[in-house]
Parts: sequence; structure tokens; C-alpha cells
Amino acid sequence: MEFTREIYWNVGHGWTTLAPMYVLLLAALAVFVLGCLQRIKVYRLGQPLDRTDQRGERIKTLLGNVLLQTKVFRVPGAGTAHALFFWCFFTLFIGTSLIVAQADFTDLLFGVKFLKGTFYKFFSLILDLTGLVAIIMLGGLLVRRYLLRPEGLITKRDDALMHGLLLTILVTGFAIEGARMAVTELGTPLAAWSPVGLVVAKMLNGLGEAGLRALHLGLWWFHLLLALVFIAIIPFTKFRHILTTSANSFLADRGPTGKLTTINLEDESIEKFGASVLSDLRWKDIFDADACTLCKRCQDRCPAFATGKPLSPMQVISQIGETAFTNPAANLVDLVGREVIWACTTCLACQDICPASIEHVSKIIEMRRNLVLMEGEFPGEEVMTAMEQTEVNGNPLGMGYASRGDWAETLGIKTLAEDSAVDILYFVGCYASFDKRNIAVAKSFIKLCQAAGVKVGILGKEEKCCGEPMRKMGNEYLYQSLAMETVEIIKGYGIQKIVTTCPHCFNTLAKDYRDFDFPVEVQPHTVFLEQLISAGTLQINAEAFSCTYHDSCYLGRHNNLYEAPRNLIHTAGGNLTEMAKNRDQAFCCSAGGGRIMAEETIGERINVKRVRMAVETGAAQLLSNCPFCLTMFEDGVKGADVEAQLRPKDIAEILAERL
Amino acid sequence: MNILICIKQVPDMESKFKINNEGSWYDRADLAWRMNEYDEYAVEQAVRLKEQVGDADLTVLCIGPDQVKETMKKALAMGCDRGVHVADNDAYQREPIEIASMIADFAKTKNFDIIFTGMQSQDRGSAQVGVMVAELLGIPAITTIVGFAFENGAVQVKRELEGGGKALVNTTTPVLLTCQLGLNTPRYPTLPNIMKAKKKELLTIAPDLSGLGARQETTAFYFPERKGGGIVLEGELPELAEKLIHLLKEKTGVLA
Amino acid sequence: MKTLLVAEFREGKLRVKYSQLLAFAKELPTEASMFLVGSTSDLPQFDGTLYLADVAKYGEYNPTVHKQLLLDVIAKEQPDRIVFHHSSYGWDLAPRIAVALKAAQISEVMALADGEPVVPVCNAKLRRKIKSQTARTVLTLQAGAFGMEEDPVGTPTVVPIDTEACKKVECKGYEAARIEGVDLTKSEIIVSAGRGVGKPENIAMVQALAKALGGEYGGSRPVVDAGWVEHDRQVGTTGRTVTPKLYVACGISGAIQHLAGMKKSDFIVAINTDKDAPIGEVADVFVVADLKQFLPILTEKLQSR
Repeated sequence: MEFTREIYWNVGHGWTTLAPMYVLLLAALAVFVLGCLQRIKVYRLGQPLDRTDQRGERIKTLLGNVLLQTKVFRVPGAGTAHALFFWCFFTLFIGTSLIVAQADFTDLLFGVKFLKGTFYKFFSLILDLTGLVAIIMLGGLLVRRYLLRPEGLITKRDDALMHGLLLTILVTGFAIEGARMAVTELGTPLAAWSPVGLVVAKMLNGLGEAGLRALHLGLWWFHLLLALVFIAIIPFTKFRHILTTSANSFLADRGPTGKLTTINLEDESIEKFGASVLSDLRWKDIFDADACTLCKRCQDRCPAFATGKPLSPMQVISQIGETAFTNPAANLVDLVGREVIWACTTCLACQDICPASIEHVSKIIEMRRNLVLMEGEFPGEEVMTAMEQTEVNGNPLGMGYASRGDWAETLGIKTLAEDSAVDILYFVGCYASFDKRNIAVAKSFIKLCQAAGVKVGILGKEEKCCGEPMRKMGNEYLYQSLAMETVEIIKGYGIQKIVTTCPHCFNTLAKDYRDFDFPVEVQPHTVFLEQLISAGTLQINAEAFSCTYHDSCYLGRHNNLYEAPRNLIHTAGGNLTEMAKNRDQAFCCSAGGGRIMAEETIGERINVKRVRMAVETGAAQLLSNCPFCLTMFEDGVKGADVEAQLRPKDIAEILAERL
Repeated sequence: MNILICIKQVPDMESKFKINNEGSWYDRADLAWRMNEYDEYAVEQAVRLKEQVGDADLTVLCIGPDQVKETMKKALAMGCDRGVHVADNDAYQREPIEIASMIADFAKTKNFDIIFTGMQSQDRGSAQVGVMVAELLGIPAITTIVGFAFENGAVQVKRELEGGGKALVNTTTPVLLTCQLGLNTPRYPTLPNIMKAKKKELLTIAPDLSGLGARQETTAFYFPERKGGGIVLEGELPELAEKLIHLLKEKTGVLA
Repeated sequence: MKTLLVAEFREGKLRVKYSQLLAFAKELPTEASMFLVGSTSDLPQFDGTLYLADVAKYGEYNPTVHKQLLLDVIAKEQPDRIVFHHSSYGWDLAPRIAVALKAAQISEVMALADGEPVVPVCNAKLRRKIKSQTARTVLTLQAGAFGMEEDPVGTPTVVPIDTEACKKVECKGYEAARIEGVDLTKSEIIVSAGRGVGKPENIAMVQALAKALGGEYGGSRPVVDAGWVEHDRQVGTTGRTVTPKLYVACGISGAIQHLAGMKKSDFIVAINTDKDAPIGEVADVFVVADLKQFLPILTEKLQSR
């Protein structure tokens, strides 16, 4: 027999089928297009932004994310189910397209058929199996959403419609196939190549040919209608994510990770700073809401949400989307809520995991900029005070600027003002300059450099805060003032290389400062020390110890630096037991986003929660390489009452002990 | 309404002070400078008053060398309309009566309805200038206000008293008020206001230094010896308790 | 040398701190008389002339009138020194007298060194000794800087005084201090609990010591966060900044945020087992001891005095 099937069997060939079919298709497409235009009109309420540069790279990313479902896979379980469902549905779509291609074009116009023979056998088999897998995966997703009900997952009527529609399309597809096969293929060797259809055919066989034909015809048109409805309602339902989420892979922020937009403060025509209404955001910020599928992966990883703060990154995106389409003139700050806006630590866990490439953090920072720059509002008086102290003394701690270099007095290193011929400038940072616990880390670092024969210079009283916490709190003006002063001073000394023991300083000097013509090389101390050890100039005597390691957000997710610190721990002889949430899944210590200056007043303390995670590893030391993390953990071990069990330490201290 | 706010630029109190070469004051080098904290409340109250009445002109005045203009800009950014910088490089040496005379000299032709000042400066802390200005101008003065209300020329204030209680005092303009900490919450200047401040009028005038005469002289300027000098007590607890009580009696006025 | 002391009357009562004025006068060889707008029903106790104006007629706060009354007395008495308390009454009235007399005013005298007044400068980080160059000098005395061992005794010779001067301000009455919540910024003695207390039950020890010293108890951030001490008793950058005469830090390590809130205290005692705790950098006395054992002993000794 011929391995093929008659397309349009029983439905009818010619215009009686094609005409209504294509009219309906055009109608569906018209609705689809109108829906898209409606949404595009709302996106355009936002400010312009060009995301079409690096086209080749962007397309590659798009293809990787969509076809390989790379980001979706980062969370197995639901991720795998979705990936499989997508591949199967996509395969079915290709299959149907091939059928349309042959039936309505190649065969109709040129008499060319390709759905035959061995090709058709595998075609049919693959489509049958993918159809089955699609139904199983969809069933699984349905069970997850409606029976298992994961906490925090938002379910709307939209979801029921989507599950129902797709399931019906898939099931009717098999029913149609079964009805057809019952009449045309039962008993033939071809039937085995459509195993699912075969089972259905056997089930339906009792209806007799007339009944089967009637069923087939009805279901065929029904199935076609549903498919066209599906197309038509894409822009009006979460189905839109097929286009928007995919597009977001293309439109994603390819800039240095986590880098904020820099306001041009020289532009005297700018009268408004930050975002208080929808039209202050960029069009991409509105589009992000449409790309969001409410998968809650961001919310699941948000340290603020996990400890009872009202901040849910997903909710923020959702609220922006909702207001864009219902009430674009609404005040965003009132809508989202101040407590929500101030709770963010910019840890980037949300953006890092988001399969839709949504930019959560920049929206929050824009709202902070509005509060700070336009209203002079802060999360609390203590933050305003910290800002004012930074203006007066160049540090948020309110310590006299003239004593900033005093910690190094007896260490045999000089300030650049005294001697600028140095191998590296050690940019100390505010905490390591003034806070006793962190001064110990600075001293350890100097000890290591001196042991390696590295000539270190510091700015001393010429050093000011790098401005990072201020920038993240929304005070772009104060940040830029500090940044420009710092850039000028460092360039004035002709420094070639800067090393810092603070990831926030590192991130800011290495990324943010590039806006100000600042080409100097910047390294975090763990990378620098690792290089010294590799080069043999720094010898460490390994001495075993038990520890766990906390990945600081600003080294980890912000800069992809996970291995250098671990290598150092290994070199030092550390027996490292990882926390469950490590590397890109690390749980923030709470001090980022400028919150080192603020009081944590809502819910459970984030730092205590993280300390408890460290305690679970059974390790004796909690290692980190960030002054904020160290400060938070010292507080945290007291709060969790585990001072005797767990000692927070910086990697520099561990190494210095082993010289 | 015509309103004057007198402010002073002082060093940040967290600074490490050194004695100057003359042994008469602190060395002005290596210090971070800021607006006298008490004056911030004065500026804020004046700005709030302007927001309330609408038609008001705020002049901020400061005496000192060129560097005080930085601090004046903050007052302008908070909402003052214009600044008057009385250029005097020796301002730090002047006595309160001399400062008050310079201010009164400027103010006497201007008919200010209200003059706001801080109740004292964080460095000299003499708490004299405000009241002296009022006396020289012949207008009433009320000190240490922690509450302020204004209605059609009627001024109602609350004075802070020892122990935390308050006295309610009413008067009419013109009046000079010295402000205590906690009168309000000084605002953080918004960026548009910081930008506008750059364009506001900031005149420098030379003071009339004739007729000023010193009435007092600093004969010594020094760091106090640390009471106890950081004594470390170790040993048997009952003895430590005795020793501590003895120290408290000796070094503080706390135990009778 | 004649000295005129200016006593104060408030909310119907003579302010008993007038004894500080007398104590100051005693430090100099001087003849002291006193000025008061007050009442014959509540007279200061000393042997000397008291120029008394009737507070019922002239009010408790009435600067222009009090100034005139005082200037009249000065014209009569011809004192070389006029001494006020450095208080909300004193610093309000003294400069008016100084301007009228063209006299030097020396504010907040905290001691006499070789007969010359010493005043604090820059939040009491520094000291200044001042010599007046005018014939008459106005002085205001720092609260508590001068004191008498025993209560003052004596009977003043009362000279009534009056004036026609008009008032420019109207004192409408008084508002009592907030009772809800303690305001540590007004406390002169504070005993604070830090993480070293270990358990909430041990806060009682700190409270007992505070009581024995006649002061208030406070806490550092960790104990407030833990809910062992109320939030309005928190000392530190995100709590209260306090400047008491005596600050006792129990089991407080002295993290920067706490130090910022209390290092301006006049006298700081730290009780801590860790000799290297940063609090040591600001402590006048550092008791190396376990507060859980030391506090009860110290409290008992204070109570039995």
C-alpha cells in the first residue's frame, strides 16, 4: 500500500473547504493583528530605547532560549514539563504546517506531494508520539497548577482557558485521527505508524462508518475553529508569551550585568528624574509585563519576599502591566508601594533566573530615583542621615574623613599623596576603613600583598565612598558627584590597577565608572590573590579547617565570579561544605541595594535566615569576601544565637593566617 | 513676607580637631564642613512658612570666608530665594556681639517680618548671637523653639524647657526666633531644587568692621584630659565594684 | 567684687538649682546678691539681698519685662558679674543684659581655672578659658557644673522691685513632657544592655543597676531587635543619640553604629569580658568582667550606700 493519507478526506476538497477555512483564518489573523496593535500602542507609552544592536548575538540568544529552552530548564520539574510540551507542540505546529503546505499549495497548485512513503511513516509516528507527550505534559502542568497548588503561584481564569483550549485541541486532534483511521487504516500496516491514533480508532470503531464520518467531519471543523481561536486570542491571553517572551530574549539587556542607566545630569532640560508614572518608564519596561508568564521563579528567589517583606518582583511587573492597560496615568509609586520599593537589595536573583529576560531591578531603582531626587524621600531618617554624612565626610558612617587612612598607620604602606609609584591602588572602601571588624580584613589583605612583594598604595583621606549604596538607593546625583571626584583623583595619580576587598566598590569601579572615561583595571581581592598564588609570588601553607562559603551577590550573580574564591579556600586547606543555595542560587545577606544604610523593620531578618542556612552545613566558619556580608553575618550569628558554632570570616583573613 | 535666616558653617563634629598655631581656636585644616545643625531647622521652618503663606521672600545670610557659599547653596536648595554672603575670613575669631552686629547692620534696613536662627552653633555654642541681633534691632526674640505656627501676623511658638516640657508663647511679627533641634524634620534637597539653587542670587557683601571691638579674650584653648584616661579594671568582682563606685564619685557628678 | 545671681521660677515653683549659683559665687571671693521674678511664698535660702519681683504680675517668661527689672537692679547694685543658669530662661535673658550693658558674655561656664571661666567648645570635645575685657561680665553656668555639698540655708533680705516696662510676648501656659515612651536623649544616666546579656531575663539586672544609679536603661540594636528592650530605648545611629553624664555599656561590643549613638557621653563605663571590644576606645573605665556576675554585686553595693 501507499504510505500516505488523503488530506481533507471526508471533509471535502476544493472551495467548499478551502474558502470558509481561509476566510476564518483571515478573520483570526485580523483579530490577532488588531490585538497586537492594541498592545503595541500601550508599549509606546514608554520612553524610547534601542535594543536592536548586536543583532547577530541577539538572534543567537533568542534561538537558544526558545528552541533549546535553556532558561526554562534552569528549574527542573515544571521547567522540563514546559520544555517538552513546547517541543511537542512546536513539532505538531510544524507537522500541521507541512500538511497545509502540501494540501493548499504544493499539491493544489503543482501536484507535488511529499507526505508519503518512509517520510510519511516517520512523520506520522513522530506527530503521534509528540501529541501524546504534549497531552501528558500539559496534564502534568494542569495537575501542578490546580491540584498541587505551589505556594505563591497565581492562577487566573486565563490559565483555565489556556489549559482547556490546548487540551481540547490536542484531544480532538487524536479523536479526528482515530475516526479517520477507523475508516481508512484499520488492518493496514500503516496503522502501526500512528500508535495513539490506532488505539483511539479501535475505541471508536463501534460507531460504524456513517457515525465515524459524521464525528470526523464535526470534530475536524471544531478542531480547526479551536486552532483559529487559539491564534486569534494570542494577544489577549497569556498565550502572548509565545511571542513576547521569545521576543524578550532578543530585546534583553546585554549591557554589563546589573548596570543602571546613567542620568545625564548636564542636560538642563531634564526636569523630571526617575519614574512616578508609566510614561516615565521605557517601552521595554511595559513590554516586560507582557513577557511575564507569572512563573514566580523570581518571587521564589527574592530574599525580601522570603522573609515577609511585601516585595514580590513578579507582582511589581504584573502591577506595571496592569496599570499600563487600565490606568496609565496612575502614580506608580503609590501603586507599587513604598515598602515594596525600598525592600529590594538588588541581589539580582530575580533577573538571573527569569526565563523571560525581564528587568525587574531597574524599574525599582527608577521609582527610588523619583522618591529621592524629586521628593527627597528615603526609607527612613537613618538613610537621609547616611546620605548627608556622605555629603559632608565622604562616607555613610559619619566618620571624620581625615582619619580614613588611619587604620593603615603602622602597616608600612603609604598614601598615593606620599608615594604614587605603586603596583596597585588598594581601594579600601568605607567599611574596611572605619569599621573595626572590617579593618581586620583590610589588614589581612595588606599582609598578603606584602608577603607577595606587591607594593600597595591607598588613597587615605583622599578616598571617598564609591557611591554605590547611594546610587542603588536612587540618589543618582550624590553618586555621580562622588564618582566624578574619585575618577579624577585616581586618574590624577596615573594608577593602572585597582584591587578592592569590597564587591560593591569593585562592581561600581569596574562597570559604573566606565561612564566617566575610566579605563583603569579593577579586580576583586579574591581574583587578585588567586593570580598571585598561581604566579607563585604568594605562598600559602594549607591548614585544614571546616567552612562553608557565601557567594556575595555582587561577585556572583553580578559578575559571575564563583570559582576564584573557592580555589582560594581549597588552597588554604578548607574543607568546604556548600550551602544548598550556593553560586547563582545564593541567598542575599540583605545589605545590597543601599540597604546597608537602612534599618530592616519588616518580617524576618534576612541575614539571620542566611546564617541559619550556613549553620545547617555544620561548618565551623562562614566565609565570604564582602564587608557588607561580613557585617551582616556578625550581626546574624548574634541574632541566631550561634556565635559559638559559626564564625564569620573573610577569605583574606583565612589566607593571612596561613602565610 | 520678608524672612531672614541666619546660618553658620561649622566643622562636622565627628572630625578630629587640632589646636591652631595661635592656641586660640581649632585648626581649620583637614575638617569637613557643614551647616550648623540648629540652623538646618531654621531654614526648614522658613521654607515651610513660605510654602504656607505663598508670598514670602527668604534671604539666607552667612558670615565667613568664601567656602561658606557651599553651605549657603544647600540652604538655597532647600528653598531659600536668595543668599547674602558676608565676606569675613576672620569670622571664626569674632565674638557673638561682633557677629550679631554684622547681621544687625545688614538687617536694619530690610524690615524682616521674621528672622530665624539656630539657637546656638555647634562649635562655639554660646547661644548669644540670635538674641543679640534682636536686641540690636529692637525687636522681640524668643529662644529654643520646638513648635511654630503662623496665622495672619500672629506667631505661636513652643519653647523647649529643661525636663522635656514646653512653654506656649504668642507674639506678633516682627520677631526673631532661635530654633532648637526637633522643631521639624529638615528636608533633603530635591535634585530640581539643587539645580535651581545654582542660579539663585548669592551676593557677597563686605561687612562694616569699624565699631566692632572685642569684649573678651581666649586665654587658653585645649583638649580636656580624659577623665580616668581609660582605666581598665580587672580582678575580684567585689573589689571592682568598690573601685568603680569610687571612680564614679570622683570623676562624675552622678553619685552624691 | 559683686556678683548678682539670677534665679528662676517655673510653673509656680522656685527652681532649686539656684544652689548651683550660690556654689559658683562661693568659688570666688565675692559678695553675692540675687535677682528673682518669683513669689514670697517660695524663697531661696541664703543670707544676702534678694531683689524680688512678683511673678504674678510680671509672668514666668517675659523677656522684655524681666530684662528691665534686672537692668534696674543692676543699676542699683552695680555688680561686676551677673550670673545666670545656662538654661532656656538664662540663655534667653543673659544676652539682652550683655547688649544693654555692652558687657562680655561668657556662656556655659563649666569650671573656674585660676579664677578664669572655662567653657566647652565643639560638643565638649575642647575647652576654652576666657578672660573678660569689660568692666562687667555676664556669665551663664552649665547645668550641674557647680554644686553644693549640703542644701543651702539662710534667710534673704527681700527687696521688692517693680517696673513699667511692657511685655512683647505672651506666655500662654505649659505643655507637660510626653510620658508615653522614654526619651533617652534627656537622660543624664543611662545603663545599656548589649548582646552580652545573653538572655531576655538578664535585662532585669541592667534595669536594676539603672535604677540604683537613678537613671534609665537602654539597649543596643541586637537586643532591641530581639525584642528584649523597647524600641524607644535603642541607642545608636538607628535609635537615639544620647549625651548623658554617665553611660554604662553592659555586654556591648561597640560596633560603629552603637558608638555613634553614645560616644559623646561625659563618662563611659564599659562592662565586658572582651578586653578588645571596640567600646574600649571610648570607655573612660573598662571593667573586664562577666556582667551577669558583676552587675548584681555592683547594684547591691550602690543600694546599700
